Amino acid sequence: MNLPNYFLADLPPEAELSPKMIAEACLALKQNREKFLRPRTTDSIVKLLCEVATEWQQPDNKFRKLALELGPTETGFSKPILERGLDGFFKQFTPDNFQALLAQELGDGVAAGNDEYRMMNDESPDHSSSVIRHFWRGPDFLVHIAAGNIPNPTLMSLTLGLLTRSAQFVKCASGASFLPRLFAHSIYELDRKLGSCLEIAEWRGGNLALENALFAEADCLTATGNDETLAAIRTRLPAKVRFLGYGQRVSFGLVTREVLREDTIAEIVSRAADDVIAWDQNGCLSPHVIYVEERGAVESDQFAERLAVELAKREAAEPRGKIITETAAAIASRRSICEALAAHRADVKIWSSQSSTAWTVVFEHDVRFQFSPANRFIYVKPVPDVATVLQGVDAVHGKVSTVGIAAPPEKMKDLAWQFARWGATRICPLGQMQNPPLTWRHDGRPPLGDLITWVDFEQ
Amino acid sequence: MHPELSNFAACLRELIEHPDFLTGESDLDRQFDSLALELFALQFKFNAAYRKICEARQLTPQTVQGWTQIPAVPTAAFKELELTSLAPAERTTVFHSSGTTEQKPSRHFHTVESMAVYEASLWQWFQLHFGDPGEFVFLTPNAAAAPHSSLIHMFDIVSRKTGGASLSLNRSGFFGDITADGTWTIHFDSVVKKLKSACDSGQPLTLLGTAFSFVHVLDFLAENNLQFQLPQSSRVMETGGYKNRSRVLPKVELHALIHERLGVSRENIICEYGMSELSSQAYDLEIQHPASSIQHRAFHFPPWARVQIISPETGGEVADGETGLIRIFDLANVFSVAAIQTEDLGVRRADGFELLGRAMQAEPRGCSLMTT
Repeated sequence: MNLPNYFLADLPPEAELSPKMIAEACLALKQNREKFLRPRTTDSIVKLLCEVATEWQQPDNKFRKLALELGPTETGFSKPILERGLDGFFKQFTPDNFQALLAQELGDGVAAGNDEYRMMNDESPDHSSSVIRHFWRGPDFLVHIAAGNIPNPTLMSLTLGLLTRSAQFVKCASGASFLPRLFAHSIYELDRKLGSCLEIAEWRGGNLALENALFAEADCLTATGNDETLAAIRTRLPAKVRFLGYGQRVSFGLVTREVLREDTIAEIVSRAADDVIAWDQNGCLSPHVIYVEERGAVESDQFAERLAVELAKREAAEPRGKIITETAAAIASRRSICEALAAHRADVKIWSSQSSTAWTVVFEHDVRFQFSPANRFIYVKPVPDVATVLQGVDAVHGKVSTVGIAAPPEKMKDLAWQFARWGATRICPLGQMQNPPLTWRHDGRPPLGDLITWVDFEQ
Repeated sequence: MHPELSNFAACLRELIEHPDFLTGESDLDRQFDSLALELFALQFKFNAAYRKICEARQLTPQTVQGWTQIPAVPTAAFKELELTSLAPAERTTVFHSSGTTEQKPSRHFHTVESMAVYEASLWQWFQLHFGDPGEFVFLTPNAAAAPHSSLIHMFDIVSRKTGGASLSLNRSGFFGDITADGTWTIHFDSVVKKLKSACDSGQPLTLLGTAFSFVHVLDFLAENNLQFQLPQSSRVMETGGYKNRSRVLPKVELHALIHERLGVSRENIICEYGMSELSSQAYDLEIQHPASSIQHRAFHFPPWARVQIISPETGGEVADGETGLIRIFDLANVFSVAAIQTEDLGVRRADGFELLGRAMQAEPRGCSLMTT
């Protein structure tokens, strides 16, 4: 990839990072941030982010082209899946959506341009106008420890950090810096000064020398990973650092009987397939299980069978990416036990791609939530009612992010309320599970609110 | 008991016990395919649970042409289904899969005849690798304490065949115990005494146990600052995983520690690969087998069991040097199912394999992935 050396992740693979390099990069970021980012207005940042996103959606944009051409090798996702995932993400970047985010997080005052809530970094408050009661400021130096190779959470972290005018350092998991790098380059291209307030680096987690050098500089650190990883990071952080950990979450779908009709089934199945193939089902927002109410005009096993047909179709048009042997082995092992059970029990059925692990649908009556090996391996479980779903997912209580629901509009509110009361943090229409809006509260936490610090001004 | 299966078992035992089975020209090698097909037909006929699986895959004795096409059953199916042609009243022994975390263990049912085949199988192949054994030190509980462990049953047979049963604990035998909650413990003082006396007398020892047993012994020796240089031809047989019973060491590190603390060289540390669902074991010692030119320290099963390394992606056999899931066709599994699909990954090495270990359950990537 022919990109200039702006970021540590741009260095050739043989270049070895040192704690000194990290410390120097942090210093440069902080200086650049003082000069170039702190003085910027929220409006100007929003404008830039919308421009970046518009560029990414142009077919001839060079970063988009690189992402789609090299992405399959670099990330393991096929071109159509990258296209679907990135377009879904960038199309959210509109001035209106950013206004909604700012209003949600900072109060309507900011969204309306009212200076009642002013950011300290904005141009000097006009004291002649109305009374100022609060200021807010972002962390001076924001560090992200990014896991995995689904790019959207990392791109969103960078976006939020720009809105808080923070110098940012993103430490990507090994092999996962490709898309964050392209995103940072695309910002650099449109606004070099802003780009110089970002750093992207990649190393294998647990490199204490590099990480200690980085942690020492942080004011706020976000991390995604499993609970052990987060706990380990937390214990190594200096006390002054605000820590925002996003642990392992799982998601599931629900289809109610009213929408299981011949005239609606095709659309419902298509939406379920959208959720299963988005980012090849890798990530907290992808469903492991889809619960399907029994006694619809179309029965739950028919739903499963139609989903299998749909996944086969999708495989032809939007193929799953390549997976490592260990993952394929997990899928193959899971399939073979399901096949053996299916041979013995009428209540277990399995449909799967031939001569590949590309997709699998397992239909089984056991209502307990089941972890899928992902990569388009979905469980469909029939249930008599929603109460049974709540029993089935009891084992993952407190670990659930999204419930994707297909139900008649008049039932949605009640279902949302039930799952909200139970402990889910996001309820959305089936088909949108991997497309959270800009205002999405990750794990139920305020996306900007968690980063910033309020300053009360009492007069 | 189905007489056809009994006959098959008796014939197979003769072949296994025939002294020329290692020449590479034994009847076993020549007849493997026809024996496998014959056994498949019998198991299809008499093992109802297996037959259903075969029928679901549309593979029957009429359609299957060679042993590699015979449908393999996943080891996990032994937890859910009764994969046996033995009627409940005929079952005299059951071996369970090990592991403390499993709620539902595998069940491999045996009867006197199947045990006879099993014992012939384990002994012949074991004997070949540990021909001149010295004394045996088993770092496990004995068979009375752990009646459902196939590994301990194997040790018990070895112990009895070599006269160990008549020996007192201090000379040779089982140095482990089992607590009420199922934890395996080791009589460290007795082990140390044994190691000392071997060093004094110059009489070689063979220590046998699971990887975690060795970790426990090595940790004890390290804590007490003890180090031994066992007599030259002493050996170690190490098997199995850790099952959360000790810290986990990479194999190379474990073997280096064994060498350091016990003075047993790497070539005398032999790894065993076996499981309750099989009746034969593989060892990773290099042996002079005229039928193959072994380059790697790869695992090999005896001639009555064959291995295939299967691509999990395509379901086909992988090429030499490639990684896949280990599938075994064990003729000695007469009364259960001969074709066993494991969840272990291995690298194909000529007619053997290098063991990589259990395929981890794939965790979703993204937010839930380790930050590595």
